[in-house]
Amino acid sequence: MDLARAVREALARLRAEPGVREVEVFAAFNRSLFTRLNYTSHIPCNGVEEPKSTEMAGLGVQAVFDGPDGRPLIGFGSEPSDLTQEGARRALAKARQAAVHDPEFRSLPRPAGAPRALAAYHDPRLMSVEDAELVEAGWKVITGGLRAFMASSRLGDLAPDEAGLKRLGLILGGDVSILQSRVAIASSAMPEPQADDCAFMSASATGMVEARDAKGSGWSITTRLEHFTDEAGAEAASNAVAAMDGERVPSGDYPVILGPQPVADLCNNLIVPSCQAGSFYSSSTPFLGRLGRVVAARGLSIYDHGAMPGLAGSRGITCEGLPTGRTDLIKDGVLVGLLSHWYDTQRLLHDPAAREKLGVDPAAAAAALAPRNGFRGDGGSGRTFESTPGTSASNVVVEGADPVSLADLAARVGNGLYVGRIWYTYPINGLRAGDFTCTVVGDSFIIRDGRIAAPLRANTIRINDNVTRLLGAVVGTTKDPRGTPLWAADEVVYAPAVAVSGVHVDAIAGFMEGLD
Amino acid sequence: MPHGIETRLIETVTPMVRELVTQQARALADLHYADVRLEVSEGKFAGAENGEARTSGDDYAFALGIRVLAGRSMTAPGYFGRGLGAADVPHLARLLREGLLAAYRRAMANAEMKAEVKGKFGSLGDALADTRLHPIPIRQAVVPAVFEVDPRSVALDDMQRLTTDVSRRVAGVHASASYNYISTMTQLSRELFASSEGAVIDQSFALTQGMCYVVATGSDNSQEIYDVLGHQRGWEILTRGVAEPLIEFPPFPEFALAMAGDAVELAAAPALAAPAGEVPVVTDPHYNTLLSHEIVGHPVELDRGLKMETAYAGRSWLLRGLDDTQLGKRIASPLVSAFSDPSLPGYGHYAYDHEGTPARRVVHIDRGLFTGFMNSRQTAAVFGGDPNGHWKATDASLVPLVRMSSTVFAGGDREPADLIKEIDHGYFLVGHRTPSIAESRENFRITARKIYEIHRGQIGRLYRDGGIMADSRDFLMHVDGVGRDFRLYPIPNCGKGQPMQTRKLGNGGPTLRSRAIVTGGA
Repeated sequence: MDLARAVREALARLRAEPGVREVEVFAAFNRSLFTRLNYTSHIPCNGVEEPKSTEMAGLGVQAVFDGPDGRPLIGFGSEPSDLTQEGARRALAKARQAAVHDPEFRSLPRPAGAPRALAAYHDPRLMSVEDAELVEAGWKVITGGLRAFMASSRLGDLAPDEAGLKRLGLILGGDVSILQSRVAIASSAMPEPQADDCAFMSASATGMVEARDAKGSGWSITTRLEHFTDEAGAEAASNAVAAMDGERVPSGDYPVILGPQPVADLCNNLIVPSCQAGSFYSSSTPFLGRLGRVVAARGLSIYDHGAMPGLAGSRGITCEGLPTGRTDLIKDGVLVGLLSHWYDTQRLLHDPAAREKLGVDPAAAAAALAPRNGFRGDGGSGRTFESTPGTSASNVVVEGADPVSLADLAARVGNGLYVGRIWYTYPINGLRAGDFTCTVVGDSFIIRDGRIAAPLRANTIRINDNVTRLLGAVVGTTKDPRGTPLWAADEVVYAPAVAVSGVHVDAIAGFMEGLD
Repeated sequence: MPHGIETRLIETVTPMVRELVTQQARALADLHYADVRLEVSEGKFAGAENGEARTSGDDYAFALGIRVLAGRSMTAPGYFGRGLGAADVPHLARLLREGLLAAYRRAMANAEMKAEVKGKFGSLGDALADTRLHPIPIRQAVVPAVFEVDPRSVALDDMQRLTTDVSRRVAGVHASASYNYISTMTQLSRELFASSEGAVIDQSFALTQGMCYVVATGSDNSQEIYDVLGHQRGWEILTRGVAEPLIEFPPFPEFALAMAGDAVELAAAPALAAPAGEVPVVTDPHYNTLLSHEIVGHPVELDRGLKMETAYAGRSWLLRGLDDTQLGKRIASPLVSAFSDPSLPGYGHYAYDHEGTPARRVVHIDRGLFTGFMNSRQTAAVFGGDPNGHWKATDASLVPLVRMSSTVFAGGDREPADLIKEIDHGYFLVGHRTPSIAESRENFRITARKIYEIHRGQIGRLYRDGGIMADSRDFLMHVDGVGRDFRLYPIPNCGKGQPMQTRKLGNGGPTLRSRAIVTGGA
């Protein structure tokens, strides 16, 4: 399947069609392979629940047409499974039929001169995984977890025999995912086809000792098949054991160390959406009017980088054919940049209300709105040909100035909480208000006298706070960021643990203690 | 412009699919079961933003999905899915066979490895079991779509005109209505299910939806409101509205303008300063649509109950183990009943699920007692009980999951206005906004579009950014009033599964009165 050739030939054909002023052809092939995992020691189960895949290839065509009154009309159409000129012609016909006059449309993406930084970075072996290998990958994670459970002396103390071990309600769930994505793009403005192949593999596992209400997580991300191990399952099982005999805490305000997963979750659901050009355009970001101003604690920096070799979210080009690269979002506490794609950048820079929305003159904001993040994401399943680009993050990196070890950070906190996993994190009163809520579902601990002292019982507290307050209350970070894949997300967040003062938590689900 | 593929393709290929899944599949060694799903949809959409047209489209979609259960010493599943196009039709027989073989290879490899692991891990390996499907009646059926205006007949220009006009009118409601996005869609889809057991089910669905997203900007806040008007009917529901016993909507322009009016009113309203402690709360049917979804629908999905969703959407507090459940126990006040019923109209309506099970009503809460889960053939085989037809996928290429049909609180006999009049001090929540639910659905916080203070039985001041938070069982136990104003609403975006499947389904209920902690801003 030569996607570059397909878009080259399609472009040559479509440019010659009557009434076509500009045209862009995007070809994609995506295959997502999963093994869903479900092991339960106390309930009949499959272990590897669903070895499966979905795949699709096709062309997407966006074109600017001559309108009947001389105004340009812009339309998009796609055709699955047919990369020939006939498929391109059908896609163009759909685009022509659907074309509308959009006064905010300036042009199709134009190259800005920056060179492509990342090429030839995918593992060919990940592009050709066999059915048995897919199934084996799932069993590798399951058996890694089972071995960790069986090797645990704490579990051995609880269970006098193997039957007793089963009754502890040992659970291993999650998945192994392999994403294979190939794209090519060419346009009137960028007629030389650009192609980009990427693949990555992740495993995400949750372990439980359900009889002890203990939950632990494990995960791994790799861009090379030979680096895939059973670590996600083993880690999840070990963390579940470590979380046994958790304690409750009362409602109140606590200094909290947020582990990599909570930081990633907050980035995905609140911080990154707040830093997108589209949110400024629609006046729905808590950072409205604050470009160039302090929005977080000094020392905290967050950036997106789509061209870092070896990171799972890296891509050679965007789905607009523009080079990926680094976009600083928050630098030493100051909002300095936004994620954007070509259309959103153009219309925000020309928005009569741009100064009010951004907080600076749009002419001064152009560098902050570089369109490095135009992707055609499919909710974590690749780069689809069936839609026009939107803005999404790639590799989000969180850094603190003067990072310390976790032990030192806990010492700094004194008495508080370590939160390792959160769930159902939403901007509960709309994004602009910044209010959010989530529950703490596992991997969490109580910090007493500067040390991690005891597990925090899973599902017993809800965090109710505000993300702008949180960002301003950061008091430290650890070293060694960890990449965290997120459910149905296109980006991967590389974050350390981050300590925040005064996080409000509410105790919940007291009735579960006495549930018969 | 004719589509490359039309829904009538399903009729043409049915014999081929039936032959594949019976003759060809059964010829594969150690294959115990196979099924094939094909889906074709023809649809149109239009989008407008801030009074200007933005996008439109008229297109088709075509996909296949195959499940195989196979194995020599043990039985295990394997799946294959693929999106298709017009260019694939001449080769469909080959593509189906390739997909069948891929699913078969995965099932066989899975079965072999399952048997190996079972043997290696002692008592922990004992839990690994054959994949079984509970028996169901095997049906051959054709179920037509219901509509007045055929989605295929609607002119794209007309759709764009209406959509853009609505956007323009919403933008003109007030200067503070600073942003809006309006979209409309109408489609006809046709699904074929065929199994090695002999089932052949051909179901068609019309679906039409109008979506309104509006941002109104106040002096120090932005109110973002989003909602849909939708039904499994044709374009007529947007132009004329819906006037059925259980579903009522005005025409789409009025629906969107009302939302814009709400957003403007809320942007000018004060933020709620939440009182301390639990107070009486009255929740309207639209709010209870999301409540029924989150604290009834999700915890009664049996795959969740059997821990299969532990890593994603979580578990259910209603089931700890096969012999340790809340079945037969009181989990709500005697005034509360709740059920799922695929025969109800709206987004949750269908006759057969995606493994050919005739779909039927299942009662979850009967006058306060927990009575049952929604399930699939596989989960029914593990837990017991007959399959009730709640295994659904959003696309034929994806593996189905246990999903709600229409999950609702049953109506009562009280006048909703009386539920308010009887309160000395409390709050009235109108319309749902954003949810967050604990991992086993044991606690929730759900914000409301509007929240009014009730003072001496009278509805008082309007506030923004309010909601309630409660433990689920406590809230249900404290219900002391159930209205007679039952309503069904569409939920357009329930997410579940890996990969994520965002499903349209139905929820609803009447006005309820209970107690909860009222929440405001942080």
